[in-house]
Amino acid sequence: MIAYLSFELIVQLVVNGILYGTIYGIAAIGLSLIFGTMRIIFLAQGTMIILFTYFGYWLLELAGIDPFVSLLIVVPLSMIIGVLLYRSLFKESAEMDDKNASLLLAVGIMFLVNNLMLVMWSANPRMANTAYTEVVFSPMGITIPFTRLIALGLAILSAGLLTLFLKKTYLGMAVRAASENMLYATLVGINPHRVNTVAFAIGIGLAGVAGIGVLQIVPFDPFFGFTFALKALIALALGGIGSVFGALMGGILLGLLESLGSFFVGGGWAEAVAFGAFLLVLMFRPEGLFVRSVKKA
Amino acid sequence: MKDMKTFYTGLVALIVLGLIVVPFSVNVERSYLIYFLFMAFIYVVIAQGWNVVGGYAGQISLGQHAFFGLGAYTTAMFWVHGLLGTGADYYFNPLLMILSGIVPAIVAIIVGIPLLSRLRGDYFALGSLGLGEIIRVFFVKGGDITGAQDGLHLPSGGYESMLPYYFVGLLLAVLATVGVYFIMRSRIGMAFRAINEDEVSASSHGINILYYKILAFAVGAFFTGVAGSLYGIYIFHVNPDSVLNINYGLYPILMCVLGGSATIFGPVIGSFFMAGVFVIAEQHFPMIHPIISGALIVLVMRFMPTGIVGLKSRLQRD
Amino acid sequence: MENLLLEVNGIDVFYGDVQALANVSIQVEQGAIVALVGANGAGKSTLLKTIAGVKQPSRGDILFQNQPLCGRRAEQVANMGIVLVPEGRGLFANLTVLENLKLGAYPVKARAHLQESLNRAFELFPVLKERVSQKAGALSGGQQQMLAIARALMAMPDLLMLDEPSLGLSPLISKEIFELIHTLNERGTTILLVEQNVNQALKIAQNAYVMKTGSIEMQGSGLELLANPEVQEAYIGKRWSKT
Repeated sequence: MIAYLSFELIVQLVVNGILYGTIYGIAAIGLSLIFGTMRIIFLAQGTMIILFTYFGYWLLELAGIDPFVSLLIVVPLSMIIGVLLYRSLFKESAEMDDKNASLLLAVGIMFLVNNLMLVMWSANPRMANTAYTEVVFSPMGITIPFTRLIALGLAILSAGLLTLFLKKTYLGMAVRAASENMLYATLVGINPHRVNTVAFAIGIGLAGVAGIGVLQIVPFDPFFGFTFALKALIALALGGIGSVFGALMGGILLGLLESLGSFFVGGGWAEAVAFGAFLLVLMFRPEGLFVRSVKKA
Repeated sequence: MKDMKTFYTGLVALIVLGLIVVPFSVNVERSYLIYFLFMAFIYVVIAQGWNVVGGYAGQISLGQHAFFGLGAYTTAMFWVHGLLGTGADYYFNPLLMILSGIVPAIVAIIVGIPLLSRLRGDYFALGSLGLGEIIRVFFVKGGDITGAQDGLHLPSGGYESMLPYYFVGLLLAVLATVGVYFIMRSRIGMAFRAINEDEVSASSHGINILYYKILAFAVGAFFTGVAGSLYGIYIFHVNPDSVLNINYGLYPILMCVLGGSATIFGPVIGSFFMAGVFVIAEQHFPMIHPIISGALIVLVMRFMPTGIVGLKSRLQRD
Repeated sequence: MENLLLEVNGIDVFYGDVQALANVSIQVEQGAIVALVGANGAGKSTLLKTIAGVKQPSRGDILFQNQPLCGRRAEQVANMGIVLVPEGRGLFANLTVLENLKLGAYPVKARAHLQESLNRAFELFPVLKERVSQKAGALSGGQQQMLAIARALMAMPDLLMLDEPSLGLSPLISKEIFELIHTLNERGTTILLVEQNVNQALKIAQNAYVMKTGSIEMQGSGLELLANPEVQEAYIGKRWSKT
């Protein structure tokens, strides 16, 4: 194996890791937002992502809409779904501060949506094909697929927009305040349902972005969602809950771990490495690797 | 108060007696009822396992499927590799089944020390989820020892009847429930509750938090492992997809919460209910059975998050 | 009693099965400083939390500007013009000083006056102006308390409730905080104050209540209670010998 090892190869692995990791990053940002205000792990995030991947697939197959154009439909739709999910399902358990109920609701949604997809689209892996799916750039002998590059751009764009929202608007500040301490947030007059709704809208909206990102990059099937949710969780733990930048970096780090790991230790073990890193970070740096957190005031 | 207790003891005895009689009144080998009850018994055992760690001690574990799989694999590996000696009878060997609980319990202690000492609340939930996945990888990558992705095939020649499965399942379900009852009445159970209520005040009362958390984790793992062993003997083909399925990490939570977690009979009610839903859905709507189950979870959590047992007290309060 | 701002009428509050407040009634007049004093665990903080809507009473009612508060959630109470600075100050440690201040003006009617409120806050607390872009968690204890009060003022509250504002502060800083409370009151803010530092609190309060194990034990003007031998012995004596 070492014989094959060259500088180009390493660079290629790193590039692959980064390009793929950004998708984990978007998924992780969504999880982070929802966890921030609700303090629940929205385990269904991965399943929602794949659901939107299928939406994009449908729009392409049935209506001939280009995947990246379909973002204009899928993202608003996913945000609406996020709002509906909160208003119709999670509001009650948030009101009662019942985290088990919220967690299990997420599990139920995962189960439900997963199996709905199975019935509608079967378990056969699919992948979208457009005129540019196969387009590849090769600067300096390194292969960069066009679709992954766009996905990277999407990730950076959505992370940037979200950061602007969180830092520059009153509502965004309220979301950050509520993520830090919901009780204190209500004492300054912030309505918890409002920030939870925003977190869900953006969180599921980002699932829409990630879903379209996945569409042309890897073959997907309904079960892919759970794996994806786990990956997003790992990315989140690596990056640190409550930071957009951290979650994105966590995703990229996970992408790198997987890309390099599967080359050096083989496919299955790479997953164990990723989970091992996840546990170590949880135990020794629970605030994440990329966040400098101030101790409680 | 005393009357109520006598009443409940009598009721439970009556139900158990009824369950003992059931196999003699139906065609055991062909009855769906027997299959349903057998699965319900297994669910009761894993649900009670989660009830101890997640319900009473308040440590939400999302990794119980690891212990279920470990239990099934312990049984399978001892059997396939003849580790109890060549002459031994492995089929329903009680020693082997207990061992299949002890191995996960030991693993729970080993991983519980770092996990439980450093992770609290949601972080422990995430950590236990990661643990489950790591263990899965080890079995997938375990080569000939674990049979890799294909898993291990047990010699199925010994199978004669569903009857022993039924009664062993019933016995385990009763033992698990009685076990939880006595644990929760003991000092240990009081410590579990105290930790769940308020860790800081529990430790100020001299309770060694880490010790009891690990104990709860290990007890839960033991129950779950024994259930895994029985399930392994039942399916004869132990592989990562069957016994290390995340479903076995999620079902017990679902059943506990559905029935009412941190109660003695809540998990039992939840297990029977879900087993019933699964079996009926499987029979009548094979295609969409998981959809119905999923929808049910969502509806239950939305409209009665305190579970069936909790519903009673909620109604009384309103 | 003219101009009654807040009226608490015979409330009971429970934590689970434990009764924290029993038949508590207090009144706060417009423009006054009212102090709640008493030992640890007497229910002072619980009373503030109940007024703020964090806890709900199981009996009795609370009227604010003649409107009932019971059943309203904390953020609704805050939007009505009652702001609580909780024990531990309630700052968002990872947000900057400026962000904390802006969030203080979150209620819509306060947001309209954001800029003037900010100017006023910086005029009152010049030290905060120097640190606008620092994280709140990086401030010293005294500065954090100032920020907490400044943030509360951003909401232009009709009633400001302070829970142990001098807790954990040096005597010098604590004296400054009391002077500040006095100043704020002179500028027209009505204040409901919970304090362990009974001596200081009673000196600046027009009206005060002594609480004991969940009930009101005594009531009177600040100076009356200060002169009361019982109060002196129970709550002030020790403190005087200490400082």
